[in-house]
Amino acid sequence: MTDRKSFYLMTPALAWLTGLMVIPCLLILALAFFRRGTYGGIEYTFTLENIGLVFDPLYASIFLKSASIAGLSALIAVIVGYAAAYAIAAAPAKRQPILLFFAVLPFWSNYLVRTYAWIVLLNREGLIASIVHSLGYEGELPRMLYTESAVVIGLVYNYLPFVILACYAPLSRLNPEIAEASRDLGGSGWTTFRRVTLPMTAPGIATGFVFVFVLSIGNFVTPALLGGGQFQMIGNLVYAQFLTANDWPFGAALSMFLIAIMMGLLTLQTFATERASGARQEDT
Amino acid sequence: MRSQANPRLMLMILSAVFAFLYIPISVLFALSFNEGGLPTAWTGFSTKWYGELFANQEIMGAALNTLIVAVVSTILATILGTLLAIGVELRRRKGRFLETIIFAPMIIPDIVLAIALLSFFSLLNVTMGLHTVIVSHVVFNLAFVCSVVRARLKTFDWSIVEASADLGASTPMTLWRVVLPVMLPAVIAGSLLAFTLSVDEFIIAFFTAGAGRASITLPMQIFAMIRFGVTPEINALATIVMTLSVIALALSQRLNRGGLPGQ
Amino acid sequence: MTQTLLSIRNIKKHFGAVQAIAGIDLDIRENEFFALLGASGSGKTTLLRMLAGFEMPTAGSVMLDGQDISHVLPNHRPVNLMFQSYALFPHMTAAQNIAYGLEMDKLPRPEIKARVAEILDVIQLSPLANRKPDQLSGGQRQRVALARALVKRPRLLLLDEPLGALDKKLRGEMQLELKRIQHEFGITFIVVTHDQEEALVMADRIAILHEGNLLQCGSPHEIYEHPQSRFAAGFIGVMNFLPVRRSGNELIAKDGSKITADLGDDLANESDAVAAVRPERLSLDVQDDDNRLTGRVSALAYHGLDLQVHLDTPLSSEPIMIRLTADAAEGRRLSIGENVTVGWPAKDTRVFSA
Repeated sequence: MTDRKSFYLMTPALAWLTGLMVIPCLLILALAFFRRGTYGGIEYTFTLENIGLVFDPLYASIFLKSASIAGLSALIAVIVGYAAAYAIAAAPAKRQPILLFFAVLPFWSNYLVRTYAWIVLLNREGLIASIVHSLGYEGELPRMLYTESAVVIGLVYNYLPFVILACYAPLSRLNPEIAEASRDLGGSGWTTFRRVTLPMTAPGIATGFVFVFVLSIGNFVTPALLGGGQFQMIGNLVYAQFLTANDWPFGAALSMFLIAIMMGLLTLQTFATERASGARQEDT
Repeated sequence: MRSQANPRLMLMILSAVFAFLYIPISVLFALSFNEGGLPTAWTGFSTKWYGELFANQEIMGAALNTLIVAVVSTILATILGTLLAIGVELRRRKGRFLETIIFAPMIIPDIVLAIALLSFFSLLNVTMGLHTVIVSHVVFNLAFVCSVVRARLKTFDWSIVEASADLGASTPMTLWRVVLPVMLPAVIAGSLLAFTLSVDEFIIAFFTAGAGRASITLPMQIFAMIRFGVTPEINALATIVMTLSVIALALSQRLNRGGLPGQ
Repeated sequence: MTQTLLSIRNIKKHFGAVQAIAGIDLDIRENEFFALLGASGSGKTTLLRMLAGFEMPTAGSVMLDGQDISHVLPNHRPVNLMFQSYALFPHMTAAQNIAYGLEMDKLPRPEIKARVAEILDVIQLSPLANRKPDQLSGGQRQRVALARALVKRPRLLLLDEPLGALDKKLRGEMQLELKRIQHEFGITFIVVTHDQEEALVMADRIAILHEGNLLQCGSPHEIYEHPQSRFAAGFIGVMNFLPVRRSGNELIAKDGSKITADLGDDLANESDAVAAVRPERLSLDVQDDDNRLTGRVSALAYHGLDLQVHLDTPLSSEPIMIRLTADAAEGRRLSIGENVTVGWPAKDTRVFSA
């Protein structure tokens, strides 16, 4: 009875999600297996060419570059974010919600504006340059904007709040007595962190890493704005297939590849988490 | 863990992280009031860039479009998302497939959803414009509303629903008189969040707005402007957009003690 | 007889303006099973945490084997704590949990293995050694937590409400089990508990804490039979209290009747006091007892082993409780509303100043 009522309540939203998310995504999946038409259209014949093209050496360098930038950004974001989450979780319980709120606040505000702020800072005539010059430095500064570093900074800056949130959740759930138990049994502060706190909060770190990695590798805004279009991420490649090159099947194959990376990493993470928490029965 | 954390080190970490997060934003705020408009020198306090901003027809047009998109998609998403949340929590069986569908719009990379919708609309020969942006925004907005409302429903005492039925109310009457009033703060919090997300959303709008200036939204306008570098008007625009987001989020947080999704 | 292991000297603890421990002296002997008994907020957990090293005393000292350890970090104390929540590491198996403390001591691998196997055998969990905590029952987790603390062979083992999370039946079994293990290992145990029955059953000696003060310390028998304060008398077991006034060598009750007791010199003449007597010391219709009172039966509660009778009397606004053994109750059928006379000997009357 209840389940029927709940079905009626869910139907409009589920219909919406089916029509405007599930079907379009399946369409993209299908599109990846069609041939590109001579004048940019789609020819409805089955092919594996697009999938093959994803793994073409031509694009290998873009993938490697994307993956290294995304991986570096995710790594930095995870280290900084974990430290911040740890510090928030160590603060008095009363102050934690407000600290967390302000740590996460930028995440919910305009992505473009946050990225633009770094253009203002890193610009050749930007704030950092003017501060350095006003301190009396006369020489030429190394280029800051339109570099890989700028893109990494931008990605870390934009996704850091997410990592803080992901790491804070398991840290705040930790029973403080567990760390105390480790101290009581003779573990030093560092040993306790390495052997107890860190393994118990690893799922949050993994979640943070996976999301920053996937969102970065699929990003086209930050490379365009802070990288000055000098190098491409997979996101830029997708963008180009749809808006300039007009090769939709290849663009679709690329975005399926993105989803595959995300699903693969998330599955790996779930598997590792389950192993760590002992959800599987190991003996009888 | 409280007992073993070094307070001085924790304070240093927090200061550094908050400085990193807030200095760039604060710089924009400050510059928007700089007479000269450039970061190279402070030439005096002025609101002239705000004046120029409001005189800019293109920006104002984009702002109006964004407002239309955000309001309409928020209303739709609030209704759909709230019903969905109640429906899901009412269900006795918890389906993994169902959870995935509801969760997907929040984690799927924007670019993938954007090109999927673009392909979908062009395949169906739908003329793209503000209406396609609106229905696309509803997809992720309803997921966020649903998540906020569900968080509140987790602590909801379902026996009051049974009490209402026991006292003779029909199911729609119970929803209207009992469930909704209890849920209202969470519903409003969810809709404020959806509104903020919609105002700030760029990628999906960029792909589903179609060609032409008529359906350009504010983030699309900002993107176009900053690709050509720094102009003082953007500082003013950024300040306004950020301030509105912060107000909406603070309000949402206030109403919904459970915090932002995931919090 | 036995040596003192732990001396607590005038120990104090303040949290900001709040005083948790007001200056306590205690000596705990080698091989003793000692209980810290108190309600929540009595300071018993704070005291325990100072012994473990998680709180530093504001003043005073803790001497273990003659060495001042009051400011030694927890990981450098030969003291281990069994946490109330057990605090098992969820990502490690039972065996890994138990091995952890030995690894911290940098013992050789084979020895760690042997000692873990040995203790798993003692707690009868060898078949479940490779399970994670969430695959164990509450009782099993409790035993892993005990083993983890015990395997390090500490000089002193602290147990914070060790049986609190178990159901009633299991608790009874574990009380005896803990005593057996303590005896077998010959390690001094200090148990913190709010359950007076648990303290009476398990401990060699009990200390009652109240609002950061030590009220009384002694064997279970001393504590039960000779409470030194009204609070201690009421906290342990059931006690009937009768408001009285001292007049010469006698106590005068509210209704003017006399109550005899062994009166010391502590109580000034003509001062208000409280006389107290345990329910099981009262007997029905006894002619030659020193004290006698008559009242009306207001309630009867049958408990299987005994019968509890509530008696309304003019001596007190509270009903007087009487606990009759099953045998005594069989011989004398009581009904509500009936008037009965009960008596007790003077030596069973305790007197506290009001």
